[in-house]
Amino acid sequence: MLVGRGFKKVYNLQGGIQGWNGLEAEGPVELNMDMISGDETPSEIIKLAYAMEQSLGEFYRVAKTKTKDDSVVGLLDRLASIEEKHKQYLLELYNELGATPASVESFDDQAAEQIMEGGFRTNEFMRRNERFLSDVRLLLDLAMMLEAQALDLYLRFADKTENERTKSVLHRIGDEEKTHLIALGKLRDQHP
Amino acid sequence: MFEKLKKYFTPAESITADEARDYMNSHAEGTFTLLDVRQHSEYEKAHIPGAKLMPITQLSDSIDRLDPEEPVIAY
Repeated sequence: MLVGRGFKKVYNLQGGIQGWNGLEAEGPVELNMDMISGDETPSEIIKLAYAMEQSLGEFYRVAKTKTKDDSVVGLLDRLASIEEKHKQYLLELYNELGATPASVESFDDQAAEQIMEGGFRTNEFMRRNERFLSDVRLLLDLAMMLEAQALDLYLRFADKTENERTKSVLHRIGDEEKTHLIALGKLRDQHP
Repeated sequence: MFEKLKKYFTPAESITADEARDYMNSHAEGTFTLLDVRQHSEYEKAHIPGAKLMPITQLSDSIDRLDPEEPVIAY
């Protein structure tokens, strides 16, 4: 149908979703879409993304208090530091927009949101997933699941937003999430 | 007329999962469309992150929301 309607390049995924061997997201299209109205400015979206990165970093830091496994603790430190880099990226993106320059401190103060990347509520997520803190592989799987949900959420936000500049910012955040997922995938491959 | 009809019956190219992943990882978001044409319940259970849901039964009504200039990977 798409070819017939003038679409220039159409690919069919062999085997459909059954043939897909990468990460998946779950949940309905509407999941966590109440977090945005659709008319946010790029700055507002970046602040929201920053708050979610902040909460995920906090999750990793709190998770460290719940395990005695040194390899898991080391990985949690690494994951938390990746979130710090994400926050730095978002801050640079914010400052690139030409708005009043923001500092890490001013962003941190505003990031009181307790919703992690992907839209999970921090406390509830910790309660449900403590078992993943027992093993490096399980923890990596959990981290990748969170990033896949985050990528999905940012791109659903992009689909909902009316503002073209905000949409473009969300696509760039999505690209950053993809880079993160590739890095986590390589790390996971080291722990078969 | 013949050309138009021919287009309707032109099959889309096939792409493997590995090729699709490489494509998505090497192209910026917003430059292509990942399209899920299954039903809502199937999407809800599992979908490729970032896929737009347009069930095949409603595709003809919602197709105008897509940019025909952008490559589409459909499943």
